[in-house]
Amino acid sequence: MIASNLLLIVGVLTTILFTVLSLVLVNRIEEVHRLQGALKKIKRSFDDLDEQAKLIVKTDLELNKAQDELDKRLKSLDALQKTSRLISTTLDENEIFRRLDQSLMIDLGFEKNLVLVHDEDKILHGRVNLGFSPEEIHFVLTNLEKNKSLKQAMEEGHTFSSVNSARHEREAIVRLFDVEHFVLTPILTQNGIIGILLVGNRSNAAAVTEGDEELVSVLANQIGQSLENARLFEQVYRSSQILESKIQDRTRQLASLLEEVKHISRTKSEFISAVSHELRTPLTSIKGYAAILITGKLGSIPDPVKERLEKINTHSDNLVKLINNLLDIARIESGRVEMKMEKCDIASMIESVRDLLTPQMREKNIQWQTEVDKNVPELVLDKHQIERVFINLVGNAIKFTPEKGTICIRVHRDTETATMEVSDSGIGIPKEDLNKLFDEFYRVDNEINQNVKGTGLGLSLVKKIVEAHKGKVWVTSELNKGTTFYFTLPLSP
Amino acid sequence: MSTHIGIGFSRHIDSQQAAKEAAFQSKTNLGADRIDTTLVLSTVHYDPRVSVPIIREILNNAKMIGCSTAGIILSQSIETRGIAVLTITSEDMKFGAGCVENIHTLDTSQSGVELASNCLGDFGKHGRQIFVFFVDSHLKNVSPLLRSLQEVLGSIFPVVGAGSCDDFHFGDSFQIFQDKILKNAAAGLIMGGHMQVGVGARHGWRPLGKPRLIDKADRNIIKSIDGKRACHIYEEYLGEETKDLRSNRLGQMAILYPLGISIEGGKEYLLRNAVDIEQDGSIVCQGDISQGAEVHLMIGNKDSCKQAAFEAAQEAHQNLLGKAPKLIIILESMTRLKLLSRTAFQEVIKIKEVFGLNVPIIGMYANGEICPLQSSERFKKPHLQNESIVILAIS
Repeated sequence: MIASNLLLIVGVLTTILFTVLSLVLVNRIEEVHRLQGALKKIKRSFDDLDEQAKLIVKTDLELNKAQDELDKRLKSLDALQKTSRLISTTLDENEIFRRLDQSLMIDLGFEKNLVLVHDEDKILHGRVNLGFSPEEIHFVLTNLEKNKSLKQAMEEGHTFSSVNSARHEREAIVRLFDVEHFVLTPILTQNGIIGILLVGNRSNAAAVTEGDEELVSVLANQIGQSLENARLFEQVYRSSQILESKIQDRTRQLASLLEEVKHISRTKSEFISAVSHELRTPLTSIKGYAAILITGKLGSIPDPVKERLEKINTHSDNLVKLINNLLDIARIESGRVEMKMEKCDIASMIESVRDLLTPQMREKNIQWQTEVDKNVPELVLDKHQIERVFINLVGNAIKFTPEKGTICIRVHRDTETATMEVSDSGIGIPKEDLNKLFDEFYRVDNEINQNVKGTGLGLSLVKKIVEAHKGKVWVTSELNKGTTFYFTLPLSP
Repeated sequence: MSTHIGIGFSRHIDSQQAAKEAAFQSKTNLGADRIDTTLVLSTVHYDPRVSVPIIREILNNAKMIGCSTAGIILSQSIETRGIAVLTITSEDMKFGAGCVENIHTLDTSQSGVELASNCLGDFGKHGRQIFVFFVDSHLKNVSPLLRSLQEVLGSIFPVVGAGSCDDFHFGDSFQIFQDKILKNAAAGLIMGGHMQVGVGARHGWRPLGKPRLIDKADRNIIKSIDGKRACHIYEEYLGEETKDLRSNRLGQMAILYPLGISIEGGKEYLLRNAVDIEQDGSIVCQGDISQGAEVHLMIGNKDSCKQAAFEAAQEAHQNLLGKAPKLIIILESMTRLKLLSRTAFQEVIKIKEVFGLNVPIIGMYANGEICPLQSSERFKKPHLQNESIVILAIS
């Protein structure tokens, strides 16, 4: 009984335990299912997270690539701007290449670069070089000449790059320059291609971009422009040097000629002076003896002899006058005549000249007019010499003015000078003679001069005297209407 | 006697002229006749066979180490072309320089021992404060070298270093020791004496996507991740075929998206650049990888970089224990230069916010940085890092 009861109790307990365990197990299984669900969710979240991460990495890669490109662009633009400034501020071709060398190497960031430029005979030479040995440059120069199509395309202004060029072109350039990534562009001026610029990298890590291509083209243009400016400047400079050299040669020649002329003139003056002195002494004796003979103190002389003696006397006077004029000119030229400068009222001097020449004017019934500007002050001059100027000019005027003509003397004041005019209503002077009028011994070929004797030294003497007073003399004339001589004298010495 | 610091820099196009200008400028700024040690950083645009002898001659053949770099960090600018020369003269500080050559062919653990022994031999019996070294970044696994270095040097002071590099072409780089221009070598400098050193390092990269498991790795080579060929991770994320990745683009792309290894108990991730992908799809990293570790693809941005620079500077500053800094040396990943690009100098501005405007700064962009991972580890173990900025403040 007890045993059966015990068995019953055990059975009940076992059933209860089994039930409880079953409940717990079910509960655990549910928990496991729940956890498995949660784990799946977490795994899915991780996978989602990972997908997002991949997206982030891809975006980040693109951003980094864009940033790299942007940085490179900015750096290159900065380099370009700096390079442009550097090379545009010099007009020396060698200096352009020197500056280009530094700036390209430092800032453009390409492993290799090469600038080849034509010389005057259109032969290419390496002027800027980074990363090429002399042998490599020689190889490039030799083989570039052989590659006609590439050369032709370059001459037409075509730019090549590893980004955009056709495969066969790209391969040819890679073989030629040994760069995997490159931009090859012509350096152009208005007169066509003058060289080529190559930049490039061997490493795949530094491939060039379309931006590089544009940039290098701009740089090549800038180089071309700077070289053209330098060459134009060189041409202008050379021309100016040649011109300057020619001017210097001519100046030297002229100076030498001037010295020669001065020397001749001096020699001439000295000769005239010496000869005149030598002539004057015997002439004075001739004149003296002729005068004594004319007086008859040495015995009466027949009229024909007297007439001949008077002619000797008259010609002697003319000869003395000629010699005196020559002597004066020679003295003034050589500076041996010292002007005796003193204050002088020009109006009074003109009146004095008028008095002196009135008899001759009366003979031809010539009318005299004087117009003196009251503002002309007293002038500082050599009275005797300026009087000779007036006498010479008025004397000429009387000579060439027909009867009942007019002679007018005008004086007016300018800023720094007083200008004197002696005009007549005479026969005038042909234009072609005006320039030679003041030359020594020059006489205008006209009827009056043929009949009236003269030395041809009067106007020359006038010129010398006026110039010795720091003045100028000139003449205007109109045939059959009259002539006006002008001369100036400074208001203050 | 106070410590004198002189920094000179030139970006002259000619190697000879640039070396002359940088060395003279450094000597002038140093303001002392004696020069105790010299650090030379040069971009690969300059021929070190020309520049180094000139610098040596101008600086009286003072102890010299240096290397090539992708860029130079200065107080006033970031330069991607130029030569920088740091000179130090001090009665308080002591220096010991050394190098090891042929590290690719030597047993790497042996090369660490040799480098440390050479430096210690030159250093003498002074209190050691820090070891700085430059190593050829073509060395595929730096970790054994680091372990052996520490075996000789001990673990009570920090070891920092940088991988020499070129201008993002991932080609040849060089190391400088005295008048030697080396490849496949490491040159180091122990500094010690009465000085205080503060080191701070951060990277600022963040994990991206789901965590993955490195289920098979051998030293610095990851064989498989999540049961697939290791390279699959890059194929998936970068959308590139392995053959394309294996070309030059791997270096360009992978530096922006390194692998981040979770470190047990640490907040930071240890970053590893993929330097190569082998034929079987294995990823070759610059340092050791632990099998079974969790790995993420990592991503950085400009803000996180600048923040990391600021935090690294703060950490270095704190480690100076209140001393005023006399010189800041920055060893920074070239990836950061690529990422920050024109804004790279903003990191320097952030660093100046911590140390002040007038502290002289010199630094380099490297391919692989070596530093203690966290300051809390108290310099126990130097790690190779990628994408990081290591700031060394010397007082």
